[in-house]
Amino acid sequence: MITAKRKTGLIFFPAYDWEISPSHPERQERLLYTQDQVMEEGVLDIEGITEFKAGLATEKDICRAHFCVPDVESRITPSHNVSAGGCIEAARLVMEGAVDNAFALVRPPGHHAMRVVHGARGFCNINIEAVMIEWVRKNYPHIKKIAVVDTDCHHGDGTQDVYWHDPNVLYISLHQDGRTLYPGSGFPEEFGGPNALGRNLNVPLPPKTSDEGILHVMEHFVMPVLGEFKPDLIINSAGQDNHYSDPITNMSFTAGGYARLNEMLGPHICVLEGGYSIEAALPYVNTGIILALAGVDYSYIREPDLDPEKIKEDPRIIDYIKQLTDTLLDLWGSRDNYEVRGEEIVRRSRNIFYDTDGISENQQESVRVCADCPGVYKIDSSASTGYHILAVHIPWGACPRCREQGRAWFEKPGRHNYNAVYLQDMDNDEYTVKIP
Amino acid sequence: MIVGIDIGGTHTDAVCIRGRNIVATAKTVTGDDLVRSIREAVEALSIDYAGIRRTVLSTTLSTNAITEKKYAPAGMIVSAGPGIDPRRYFITDDFHLVKGAIDHRGREYVPIDPDEVTRVADGLKKKGITGVGIVSKFSVRNPSHETSICSLIEKDFEHVSLGHTLSGSLNFPRRIHTAFFNTAVMPVQERFVQSVRQALSELGIRSPLFFLKADGGTFSDSAADRHPVETILSGPAASMMGGLALCDDLEATTLMLDIGGTTTDIGVLIKGIPVLEPRGVDIGGYKTLVRGLKVISVGVGGDSRVSIAGGDIRVGPHRDGPPACMGGPSPTPMDALAVLGRLPQGDREKAVHAIAPIAGQLKQDISEVSRHIVSIMVGVIRRSAHEFIDEVNRYPVYTIFEMLHPEVVEPDRVMAIGGPAELLSPFIEESFETRCVVPDHAMVANALGAAIARTTRQITLTADTQLRRMICPELGMDEKISPTMSMDELKQRGERALRENASRLGILDKGEVSILEEQVFNIVRGFSTTGKNMRLKLQTKPGVIDEWGEA
Repeated sequence: MITAKRKTGLIFFPAYDWEISPSHPERQERLLYTQDQVMEEGVLDIEGITEFKAGLATEKDICRAHFCVPDVESRITPSHNVSAGGCIEAARLVMEGAVDNAFALVRPPGHHAMRVVHGARGFCNINIEAVMIEWVRKNYPHIKKIAVVDTDCHHGDGTQDVYWHDPNVLYISLHQDGRTLYPGSGFPEEFGGPNALGRNLNVPLPPKTSDEGILHVMEHFVMPVLGEFKPDLIINSAGQDNHYSDPITNMSFTAGGYARLNEMLGPHICVLEGGYSIEAALPYVNTGIILALAGVDYSYIREPDLDPEKIKEDPRIIDYIKQLTDTLLDLWGSRDNYEVRGEEIVRRSRNIFYDTDGISENQQESVRVCADCPGVYKIDSSASTGYHILAVHIPWGACPRCREQGRAWFEKPGRHNYNAVYLQDMDNDEYTVKIP
Repeated sequence: MIVGIDIGGTHTDAVCIRGRNIVATAKTVTGDDLVRSIREAVEALSIDYAGIRRTVLSTTLSTNAITEKKYAPAGMIVSAGPGIDPRRYFITDDFHLVKGAIDHRGREYVPIDPDEVTRVADGLKKKGITGVGIVSKFSVRNPSHETSICSLIEKDFEHVSLGHTLSGSLNFPRRIHTAFFNTAVMPVQERFVQSVRQALSELGIRSPLFFLKADGGTFSDSAADRHPVETILSGPAASMMGGLALCDDLEATTLMLDIGGTTTDIGVLIKGIPVLEPRGVDIGGYKTLVRGLKVISVGVGGDSRVSIAGGDIRVGPHRDGPPACMGGPSPTPMDALAVLGRLPQGDREKAVHAIAPIAGQLKQDISEVSRHIVSIMVGVIRRSAHEFIDEVNRYPVYTIFEMLHPEVVEPDRVMAIGGPAELLSPFIEESFETRCVVPDHAMVANALGAAIARTTRQITLTADTQLRRMICPELGMDEKISPTMSMDELKQRGERALRENASRLGILDKGEVSILEEQVFNIVRGFSTTGKNMRLKLQTKPGVIDEWGEA
């Protein structure tokens, strides 16, 4: 009989009746072998590890994190309600103290979904971590600072986008360099919006990075940064496609490495993201993560075909990563030296492509630079689907001037022929759409 | 005629049925010699033995052997490969880890080393060990390591059990413990089956002999020889099956209470089907793969000691003896019922005498205190029953369909059996706010449960058309299949195998085969489908034999 050091909750929802298409990486089979491995290892019989049923995220839960165009119902399937609902259940268990930490082993994933949702990007429709985080903030207001450490191989451009302007959510992403992989973003200069500089940290890693490289970044960058930020809640977007066997990426991480990473990080909640080596990686990585969360010895968890010598990174990769880590740490250390002067409203314009659904979107974003609160912002978004909308976000803890500005933007959107105007008023938990 | 015998800790009950009629019942005191207790109970039935065509036993033999650690020393040979360190699941020094690794799809990564296996076996033999359990990780996906180890050593040991034959379910630690206990109780069970057979034949009973299993089904005496571990916890299974036999409404969801002297067992029948433990039952502090009914036991019964703790009344969990009104040493809920004038037998004066000090201490009227005692007892049962139901409703589901269409278990009524059931039923109705049924013959429900239980068998089939392999661990099938095999073909193949096996096991009924689980996954590699991974669990339907049901 094995007893866990920490009480760990597991929300397992493999969605055995959901797929993007029959041969898509996001298909029914994806978590089958993981389930087999977890069952065969008797993980759920370990004293302290308990499986719980997923829940269903409501439309309001989703509206806290997203502007779905034209509406929530048409942008998602019930599978998304369950995978986001599974994350909320994981958070509820942790917040209620039923467990010390929890793992939402759910699909479909979410970290490529941005605040405005016209369709699916990178297999993601809604950002399940963001839906969960906003649920926590609504229900447990004492949770002020949240850190999301994203260890999926792909840059989590969706989570970066949702929290770009939020100084209270620190987003750190470790991923394969965007010059070599989807979605092509995730560079150190993507450092957060004008009110949240240094709250978005990207670590682009060279292809073939293995355990030593990734664990170096964890030890010498992620952990010191978290030590300074002092989050109330740590979330790990636990994508598993850095694995050496993953078919759509080029990294060399192992199950043992993932378990060690998790042990170092000590997250409150893990959320499964990508990872498509469904037979050779996921069964072992997931088992390793669950054991690491529970504080159970994982040292014998190993892929049966593992040859550590074969996947060890070139010394030049380690040298590069050490330099990168030092540069990033300096950048983080200088975060308070940057400030936006003389401008009340900062604007940016960008194009976003929804690869899964083949939609193009153009955004004109305006954020009010504010010393008193996270700052109100609005997004003018037009998509190739024909929708042209305005979305106004009044953040948690908005100051009276930002609130006033947000209301004004929403009440008087101007002559732009918007199909709809959306409002997120976080403090009032009010999510409104009006058709002009 | 069918004879059912339930050998409980205190009493041995026997019942004889013909069609839906209970011909005779008997109750005797269980002695140290179980075979003798069986014989006495059968004799007390005073029936014509020649008419018996089936005898079914529910015994605590294996359960007691395991919980009291009265079993033969057994060796274990375990191959694992990477994963959680299997040595953490070893119980004695006679557990040995050997080389060998198989993955989740049944592919071999590391072969076994015959020399190593032989060395381990020699060591066990030198210690005088005569039974060995053999288990490898993922043996239900590829049993070849277990079977090769077996062929290397079987000539040297009297009893050998292979993990994959005991259950088709995944769970390596449970497989280790299941195979160990099975091997360890084999000699005990074998001797017992032999002496029971002899005793019955001395009485002139020539009928086939069956044993009740933890899942509320029965199996033949020879199967019980090979898989004695499946008979553990058949006592609670007998009472649930007894409840099912006496159930007049099979469409209802019934909360079953078996209220005994020391404990109350709680279970649920959903539309006539008892709820099972999802992963297997626990025994002696260990988790096994033995399929069993989900039954929880709470430490309150009719004879529980009533005491005062922290200024309030406490019922159980101990029993000091019979109720005070029957000459026992301490006040009990039965005494409370006696004070309230609900107990026809017993000495009410003694009951009053036993309860009075409690009433004095709490400065309450004696009947008020008595009502309080009963309501506390029933309250304990109700809380546990609610927890039980909540737990069943919390079972995770893995498909969106099930998430959106949850099947919520909500009992329509309570059925109570056991000694104090009749007396407690009005209190149960009040506390549960629902109807409480106490069937006739509730006193011998367990023996009746054994008598009417069907013979059951469950099998697990995994077919992997990419690897062109089909495995049925329970039946030892490992066959090459066509890459185009379909789920329908797998079902036909499984059904045929189960029927052939069922007739060998002596299944009396027409043997309705039902599907427990059915899953098909496309195996997609490199963006095209390269095969199908199919999983199927079939069973001969558990429940009440047709003869009892139809009459």
